[in-house]
Amino acid sequence: MTQLAFSDMSKSYGGTPALADVSLTLTGGRVHALMGENGAGKSTLIKLLAGVVPADEMRVEVDGKPITLRTAADAHAAGFRFIHQELNIVPQVTVAENILLGHAFPRRFGFAVDWAALRKQASDALAMLGASGMDLNAMAGDLAADDKMLIKIASALVAEPGQEACLYVLDEPTAALTGAESQKLFAVIERLKARGAAILYVSHRMDEVMAICDDVTVLRNGRHVMTVPIARTSKAQVIQAMTGKDVADAYPPRASAISDQVVARVSGDAGRLRSLFFDLKAGEILGVAGLAEAGQTELLRLFLGQGRVAGGAEYAGKALPRNPAEAWARGVAHIPQERRSEGLMLEMAIRSNIVLPHLKSAFASLRAETRDTLAMGQAVQMKMEGPEQDVGQLSGGNQQKAVFARALMGAPKLLLLEEPTRGVDVGAKWEIYQLVRELSAKGCAVILTSSDLPEILGMCDRVLVLQDGKQTAILPTQDLTSADLVTEFYDTESTPA
Amino acid sequence: MSDRLRQSATLLGFALIILFFAVRLPDTFLTARNLLNISQQLSMLMVVAATMTIVMVMNDFDLSVGSMASLAGIVAAVLFVADWPIWAALSAALLVGLLGGVFNGILVAVIGILPFVATLGTLTVFSGLALYISEGTTIFGRDIPAEFSGFARGGIPLEALGLERLKIPALSLVAFAVIAVTWVLLEHTSFGRKLYAVGGNREAAHLAGIRVVRVRLIAFALTGLGAAGAGLMFAARVASANPTQGAGLMLDAIAAVFLGMTMTKRGEPRVLYTLVGVLMLGIIDNGLTQLRVDSFIREILVGLIVIAAVVVAHVSKRRGK
Repeated sequence: MTQLAFSDMSKSYGGTPALADVSLTLTGGRVHALMGENGAGKSTLIKLLAGVVPADEMRVEVDGKPITLRTAADAHAAGFRFIHQELNIVPQVTVAENILLGHAFPRRFGFAVDWAALRKQASDALAMLGASGMDLNAMAGDLAADDKMLIKIASALVAEPGQEACLYVLDEPTAALTGAESQKLFAVIERLKARGAAILYVSHRMDEVMAICDDVTVLRNGRHVMTVPIARTSKAQVIQAMTGKDVADAYPPRASAISDQVVARVSGDAGRLRSLFFDLKAGEILGVAGLAEAGQTELLRLFLGQGRVAGGAEYAGKALPRNPAEAWARGVAHIPQERRSEGLMLEMAIRSNIVLPHLKSAFASLRAETRDTLAMGQAVQMKMEGPEQDVGQLSGGNQQKAVFARALMGAPKLLLLEEPTRGVDVGAKWEIYQLVRELSAKGCAVILTSSDLPEILGMCDRVLVLQDGKQTAILPTQDLTSADLVTEFYDTESTPA
Repeated sequence: MSDRLRQSATLLGFALIILFFAVRLPDTFLTARNLLNISQQLSMLMVVAATMTIVMVMNDFDLSVGSMASLAGIVAAVLFVADWPIWAALSAALLVGLLGGVFNGILVAVIGILPFVATLGTLTVFSGLALYISEGTTIFGRDIPAEFSGFARGGIPLEALGLERLKIPALSLVAFAVIAVTWVLLEHTSFGRKLYAVGGNREAAHLAGIRVVRVRLIAFALTGLGAAGAGLMFAARVASANPTQGAGLMLDAIAAVFLGMTMTKRGEPRVLYTLVGVLMLGIIDNGLTQLRVDSFIREILVGLIVIAAVVVAHVSKRRGK
């Protein structure tokens, strides 16, 4: 089996070490997890392997033979393939073209694209993934999230003569996938293992890592903390290695009782959403779960006035808000799924981002805004240089805290959370869960969507299940397992396609 | 560090230009008379550029300001001819500006047409209207009331400061007042905060409870109002109204905002920096005129200076990242 040894990797940015003397050995046929909080040095390490930033120091040996790794071309020639977390496919072109993107298109007469050969290469790559059934001529934008991920992986698998891939680096591959879709990805990883490739797997999802990885390396503050086989460690031990502190459980338990006061009540249909029937009590946390794009976001955004409920729907004793402005004014706070495109003005000050929905008087007071920003920043434990720092300069976890600070500032009565911890490290996740618990204790009702099932089970009191827009169940989460919940996602009455 | 350098590069260039003219034109350039004269010449551009800043804060812009300025001047003049009182004619002209701006706002914010396309269309519409109403001729002479054109010749005398026969022109005072109001609006009101938020990320602003459509509509209305005001100032200064007299304002206003954007912390439009941009354009023009540089060459130079400032800002910003 191939042995890839990366030793003494170091990299500093402007005198600040991002990675210091880290060594990593990967073996063909094994999945090696790379774990650490945001800023621990994972991204830097991957960039060194990919040759996209030059290392200050690094030695690389493939089966004992030293190789140079300075450019992206070196990494490619060495057989290293990279699959990143964002699903950046090109939606307007076909599946086949997306798979071949970044490779030389096969040519005919030296200039015309040889479409038949192109489709052949694409279908070979898909066959390796056990996904030969996919329509090569479909527009990539029309595919479900898991199929998009398959395209990206297939793209890394495209056979190039004389260049056998020996290492696949998967950076947060399940960030955009639901539980069931992730299962498909894990099957693909098994196939890659079977072909003898080494796999470096980066994820924030603990349960996933424990389930599919063989070894784990933990980084903290740019330094190597430990490398052990998964079989000889535990979730708690890995979390402790990542954070440097003991974490009893990944989810803080409910500490307060739910009141009887009903905050919202919905029954009826709303566009794609059908058979909705639920109520929500002050302090309650309701999860909304299902396969990808089963209508979770649409359901939450009913409370922002996007979509009308035909039937009965009320919030705080009146009709649902008609637009986001009315929603915020009536105590609804919202944390959108896409933090960067829907949540933040990245090139504006943290202050401007946090106070935005709470600008009430005609004249604005910089002093009051600064005071509020500092107070809210402290409440959510955000690390910032100051209120005037660009929010885009913060780490992912701190950006998410900025969005939370905005939501919390108005002391909301209903909090809508879409994927609240996506791309957020373990330490920041815990702090975010604590914030949600505190709000709930103050009587704020919460509706939460997440593709991370343990998060739904760990945080929510009840979970509402959607199947392609239809409410099919609403279950208490006590004693519910992930497996039970996933079963609810599928339509059991008709035969699956 | 590099941000500082980027921000001050334009100002440094501006200082060098002033120094150059001061040395070459020692007797006529840095005199109170010349500076007051420049402030009057630039007063219309200041008003248009200040209100243009309001829409550019949202990453929008308005190409129709020049023809709106012409239209407003013509509307007032035609109403003067019809013996309307001055206040009524001026109010009507300003109302036309406001409505024209609202129309732009409806096209852009409600219907969702790109500002470039929408305001290019209204540019032609307003200009056509001005030509139609005036029948393509200049309205001047006894039709323009003396009080109206007299206002533009008036001002606050500076005899107390020992500067005899000099005054701060009334039009300059109007321009400074418009800039002050715009500054308060953009920097010290919630409305201004919302404008910047819409410019930062429209979708995020909408989800954070900003009434984006309403905010954009109001902003375009204010830009239209500013353009009409500038048109009236122009008409008062030349005591006549010509259906094409506002034509040059739009490009200069946008150039001034761009010049201003090269000097701000994040490269966003700020009205006080827009003012600096206007002064740069005006001072270069004034100095070159005094040096008897051909007006065509002057245009080429001004264009190149704007491009140079924006290129330097763009390159240094990219480097800083």
